[in-house]
Amino acid sequence: MSSNTASSSAATAGSGDASAVRKNSKRPKYSKFTQQELPACKPILTPGWVISTFLIVSVIFIPLGVISLFASQDVVEIVDRYDNDCIPAPARTNKVAFIQGSADKACIRNLTVTKRMKKPVYVYYQLENFYQNHRRYVKSRSDAQLRSPKYENQISACKPEDDVGGQPIVPCGLIAWSLFNDTYTLSRNNASLAVNQKGIAWKSDKEHKFGKKVFPKNFQKGNLTGGASLEPDVPLSDQEHLIVWMRTAALPTFRKLYGKIETDLEVNDTITVMLQNNYNTYSFSGKKKLVLSTTSWLGGKNDFLGIAYLTVGGICFFLAIAFTIMYLVKPRRLGDPSYLSWNRNPGGR
Amino acid sequence: MVGPGGLNVDSSANHLRAPSRTVTLGRIQPQAPSFRTVYCNDRDANFPVRFKGNSISTTKYNVFTFLPKGLFEQFRRIANIYFLGISCLSMTPISPVNPITNVAPLSMVLLVSLIKEAFEDWKRFQNDMSINNSTVEVLQDQQWVPIPWRKLQVGDIIKIKKDGFFPADLLFLSSTNPDGICYVETANLDGETNLKIRKALERTWDYLPSERASEFKGEIQCEQPNNSLYTFTGNLVVEKQTLPLSPDQLLLRGCSLRNTEYIVGAVIFTGHETKVMMNAMNAPSKRSTLEKKLDKLIITIFCALVIMCLIGSIGCAIMTDRDHYYLGLQKNDWEYRNGMTIAFFTFFTLITLFSTIIPISLYVSIEMIKFIQSTQFINRDLHMYHVETNTPASARTSNLNEELGQVEYIFSDKTGTLTRNLMEFFKCSIGGISYGCGITEIERGIAQRDGLKIHEEQRSTGAIREKGFNFDDPRLMRGGWRNEPNPDLCKEFFRCLAICHTVLPEGDESPEKIVYQAASPDEAALVTAAKNFGFFFYRRTPTMVYVRESHTEQMGKIQDVSYEILNVLEFNSTRKRQSVVCRFANGRLVLYCKGADTVIFERLAYGMDNVRKVTGEHLEHFGSSGLRTLCLACKDLNPEAYESWNEKFIQAKSALRDREKKLDEVAELIEKDLILIGSTAIEDKLQEGVPTCIETLSRAGIKIWVLTGDKMETAINIAYACNLINNEMKQFIISSETDAIREAEERGDQVEIARVIKEEVNKELKKSLEEAQQYMHTVAGPKLALVIDGKCLMYALDPTLRVTLLSLSLNCTSVVCCRVSPLQKAQVTSLVRKGAKKITLSIGDGANDVSMIQAAHVGVGISGMEGMQAVMASDFAIAQFRFLTDLLLVHGRWSYLRICKVVMYFFYKNLTFTLTQFWFTFRTIFSGQRFYDDWFQSLYNVFFTALPVIVLGLFEKDVSASLSKRYPGLYREGIRNSFFKWRVVAVWASSAVYQSLVCYLFVTSSAFDGKNSSGKIFGLWDVSTMVFTCLIISVNLRILLMSNSITRWHYITVGGSILAWLVFAFAYCGIPHDRNANVYFVIYVLMSTFYFYFTLLLVPVVALLADFIYQGVERWFFPFDYQIVQEIHRHEADSSNADHLEIENELTLEEARSYAISQLPREISKHTGFAFDSPGYESFFASQLGIYAPQKAWDVARRASMRSRPKAPKKN
Repeated sequence: MSSNTASSSAATAGSGDASAVRKNSKRPKYSKFTQQELPACKPILTPGWVISTFLIVSVIFIPLGVISLFASQDVVEIVDRYDNDCIPAPARTNKVAFIQGSADKACIRNLTVTKRMKKPVYVYYQLENFYQNHRRYVKSRSDAQLRSPKYENQISACKPEDDVGGQPIVPCGLIAWSLFNDTYTLSRNNASLAVNQKGIAWKSDKEHKFGKKVFPKNFQKGNLTGGASLEPDVPLSDQEHLIVWMRTAALPTFRKLYGKIETDLEVNDTITVMLQNNYNTYSFSGKKKLVLSTTSWLGGKNDFLGIAYLTVGGICFFLAIAFTIMYLVKPRRLGDPSYLSWNRNPGGR
Repeated sequence: MVGPGGLNVDSSANHLRAPSRTVTLGRIQPQAPSFRTVYCNDRDANFPVRFKGNSISTTKYNVFTFLPKGLFEQFRRIANIYFLGISCLSMTPISPVNPITNVAPLSMVLLVSLIKEAFEDWKRFQNDMSINNSTVEVLQDQQWVPIPWRKLQVGDIIKIKKDGFFPADLLFLSSTNPDGICYVETANLDGETNLKIRKALERTWDYLPSERASEFKGEIQCEQPNNSLYTFTGNLVVEKQTLPLSPDQLLLRGCSLRNTEYIVGAVIFTGHETKVMMNAMNAPSKRSTLEKKLDKLIITIFCALVIMCLIGSIGCAIMTDRDHYYLGLQKNDWEYRNGMTIAFFTFFTLITLFSTIIPISLYVSIEMIKFIQSTQFINRDLHMYHVETNTPASARTSNLNEELGQVEYIFSDKTGTLTRNLMEFFKCSIGGISYGCGITEIERGIAQRDGLKIHEEQRSTGAIREKGFNFDDPRLMRGGWRNEPNPDLCKEFFRCLAICHTVLPEGDESPEKIVYQAASPDEAALVTAAKNFGFFFYRRTPTMVYVRESHTEQMGKIQDVSYEILNVLEFNSTRKRQSVVCRFANGRLVLYCKGADTVIFERLAYGMDNVRKVTGEHLEHFGSSGLRTLCLACKDLNPEAYESWNEKFIQAKSALRDREKKLDEVAELIEKDLILIGSTAIEDKLQEGVPTCIETLSRAGIKIWVLTGDKMETAINIAYACNLINNEMKQFIISSETDAIREAEERGDQVEIARVIKEEVNKELKKSLEEAQQYMHTVAGPKLALVIDGKCLMYALDPTLRVTLLSLSLNCTSVVCCRVSPLQKAQVTSLVRKGAKKITLSIGDGANDVSMIQAAHVGVGISGMEGMQAVMASDFAIAQFRFLTDLLLVHGRWSYLRICKVVMYFFYKNLTFTLTQFWFTFRTIFSGQRFYDDWFQSLYNVFFTALPVIVLGLFEKDVSASLSKRYPGLYREGIRNSFFKWRVVAVWASSAVYQSLVCYLFVTSSAFDGKNSSGKIFGLWDVSTMVFTCLIISVNLRILLMSNSITRWHYITVGGSILAWLVFAFAYCGIPHDRNANVYFVIYVLMSTFYFYFTLLLVPVVALLADFIYQGVERWFFPFDYQIVQEIHRHEADSSNADHLEIENELTLEEARSYAISQLPREISKHTGFAFDSPGYESFFASQLGIYAPQKAWDVARRASMRSRPKAPKKN
């Protein structure tokens, strides 16, 4: 209220030379901004615009869909689920006991190449119902420790796999502890087929996240064994399976790169996989699959993008036609004043 | 003899007050329980009482309280509390996100708000300091010693020099001016720049020099501090003599001394106990309806959040399985002990994770938008700049911009708002002869309708036309009156005009240069008229009035005459008249009186019937021409009778209790047996463009009610002229001037009167309502109008009748309430605001509108005129009524539209973002794993999506300003609240669900296998960054899709936001550090694949496609009004259109006006508009009802009644 300023000396000065102020015009200065007259584009979604937008989208999307679908079709993929078959028939009643026991877990799988696979052919393992994205799991790692031996005691996030008898585990945490340990040895037509297990991790991970001077310590020494062991003499930056494993997957069904075959595979080649079925997914009925796949420029065999593009393009085309028909059937003159609400019910008070 | 009429008026006024007291509006002035005693010039004696010091503090905080109190203020906002809670949660181990995610945005919001608070308070503090440290001269040991204001104490004797400010409320003791008077400017109190006179008690006049003043040992007994600026009662005890004190001896803090060398005064009230500080009421802070609805939306969102968390926690409890050994779930884990604990902790984890669903930056953004809207757009709009008064519009609060877009009821004051308050002396009637040949516009309208041609009278050459005077009649001008049948009566008429008033002349004492300072423009007009008739009032002293009379003795002769003013009998709304007792130089004692016809006619001497009848006819004629009338009367007094009366008068004047009432009673004794001289007629001009504006507003679906203190006939006339009422309307008139009520009033029994009026009002209301409902059922019934007067309104506002009144008035297109008090104005406003839950706007210019302005959702003050009270209380100030068109139809509508869009957009973008998180938890056993990196999440709101929405809030406009005014119907969308309905919220919510699903599902399902030709696989953070990128693009592009007007700022901010995300991602992902190890290099990895670009094209397009289809279908089949208007004018350029429209508006103005005039009622109404119905006079009323509204007029008047002391002391 007035009284806040009433006794202020500022107000005094103001009223004192009020006449002088009055001479100064208080007329606001013109600017496009203050008068809200900035030049603007005023798009109106007229039927023409709507239909042509649909057409444009469909014209762009359908070819793109076709291209991606072609790319995906080029990819040859062999998937083999082995988690069930690699348990000897008698042990299948209690798979968990088998996998935790000390019996020989070797297993042989034969795969037939249905279509020529150009090199490089990638070998993946696929796990299902495995929650690498669980909150407890994701945070159970120490990036500092992985990077440099200086920080090997930074294990607070790694519980419960943080230390053994007071000694820090390197690499600590659930992720590393549960490292996948099935191994695959491939042969083609009884000739051994080399699987290159180097260069399977992203370069940035290898160079910056996993230290060259960090060596595994106290790993898998606890009461329970989670998965693979690490060679204590190889620095983490060279343990590429670990690096791949530790780039946690987004969803409970995921693939991890195991290695690559650097020769072409011909049609009807028989690939024999000697695998060590060590990893326990049986506790939680997770599936394990072995995947051999080529890639295209767009990546692996995934029709989703192509189908999505085609569908959307198709829908847009359909909508363009539908809208055209609708406008023909139920036309509305653009800017018809009779549509104004006050013209529709003039009596409305 | 006391006229029965006088009693009636009085009693009814008492009536008016009694029930009103129960309504609490504004601050009721505290009833002083006891008196305070101040010993002047004696600090020791005053010490035991411990009066408050004189230092003031208007700051909200001090150094120690700033942080706690400031934070407390901030946390009164529910959203901030929520985020505080979330931040605390995020510190605990159950949180899936780093505390930074929630703490950073909250601290930013708090910091900005606190800095703003601190800055404002610092300015207040500096202001206080400079006031507290300014110096004043205090009497100490017979010396004037300068001390700072803050050290001043009650009882001190101080000296104020010319142009100095009074540091406290002072008792005025002596002045360098003769007669112990001083001049005071009260501009800081009420905005009036005219000078007021204060007068010291004669007993204290000589305590002027320091030696003399130090001898002064008075004892002041006065009321306790209160906030009534215009009342003061107390006694001064000097040397065992008790002298009554009045407001005339009180100098208020905040006023300044003018035209006086210096004065000496004693301090009575200090610091916060001064009247001006006691009045420092904080204007009620208003929140817009939309903001209140926003709270509901926030609560709904919160409920949605709780539901989401419940789903998650139950899901987690069910699905968590110890068989997933790799999760390390152990028996002794407190978190995972059993289903209950899992659900419990997961609930809080998820609340922390989903906290982004409530947009934290929403309030800050909206405040910022509104601030710019009000300071840059409203304050600087050239369409609302008034050249004549050099006044731009001013938004005094930025809280209510969007409220302007939803107003359904406007309550308007009449005088000064609809009319110019520019009074011009137009006609008069003297001794039964009507003078003046002007024709009012209303008359012209009547004639036009009757088919009569009006010959524009040729003005006699040299006719005088100045402010306040628009009269021409050769019979009176330039001494012509001497040849009239009744020259003596004419002389009395002019003298009455020149003497009986409370006007102060200012400036040079020549007819051309003099400026009359008057409380009401009516008075100034009358004095100006006297001047032009040759009775030039040029000087006033407290006891004398000097008039330069010409043509009295013989043609052309000029003579200065002085009249001694013995008493002034003040005007108030019960008396409706004002009298002056004056003594001519030759000793003749005359009482001049002017007032409302009814009051004067009752007090006429016998044998005046003839003149009375003729004058009455003239008055009716004047009234029907829309003129305001006053009757003039005089009476010669017998010296003995006068002396005996004067004693009673002085007694009444010094009464401590009921002084006003006693004065009224005494006045009755002398104001009788009057001789009627004649009457005056003053034209009250309509403001420019009022009829057009009202017409436009009513086409916009806004209903306009006129609340005025005027008489019913005047009000109806103005309503006709303003297009509010026309003859096609069915009018319901509820008046207290019916025979039944009059009869009851004549019997004089208060209870009986009340009962009769209530019954009558009840009957009328019921009858009218029934009729109205009948009309409502018929299809093409006439529009309805209600006219009700103040007395009836008082009963109609009674709780029992209120509902009937409300339902009747809501059915009416226009309502006119006349003869209403300021309090009733506020009550009517509250009735509609609270009873009908409609959005109301009050507009007024005077102090009597303050309560109404504060009671409405939006208060608008008319600025640029004198008097700041209305503006000070208002939320928006405009110079002219017609600017309401721009304020409401352009600014209000746009603000509403913009704020709605901003709110919806905020809601949508946060919901979309949070939902992607939500979908993700479904695939993580509801473990509450976060999908995005901490920093992405924190910066989403404050950085990547912040600016475009502000640009939207500033520049969005559906149709141009000129089209908004041309199609007022567009405004109805705001009244219907079309853009903030739950339906709209639902549409946006489904859009958010759809888009989040598209962003989440499309990316996750396509990112499954190897994504580049080297077969490497994406991890969690790659996928989430991909989703985040798609989200940023979709959400930002959505802005463009929802904008009706896309400026380059839209492009810059939308592009900028997307770019900002990329730049941030490049920088953030490029630094190898443990903090961001998760997302290290992720964006580069993504961008090295074709997959990235293919997805980036697909996802946003699909996400926006649904909205696009929705908008296309909506526009085609269910178009909004604005969309049709857009289409009609799609080919027109904006600016050229505006010019074209300006001209068109001008044309329609004339048309509308002539139309309005032609609609005037056919029958001549029995209307004699009474001229003193100006706001200044009513405010008197208000102060008694406890509403803060100073009475302007009577300060001016009081200074003239200083001859109250008995003659005896003078002889001593």
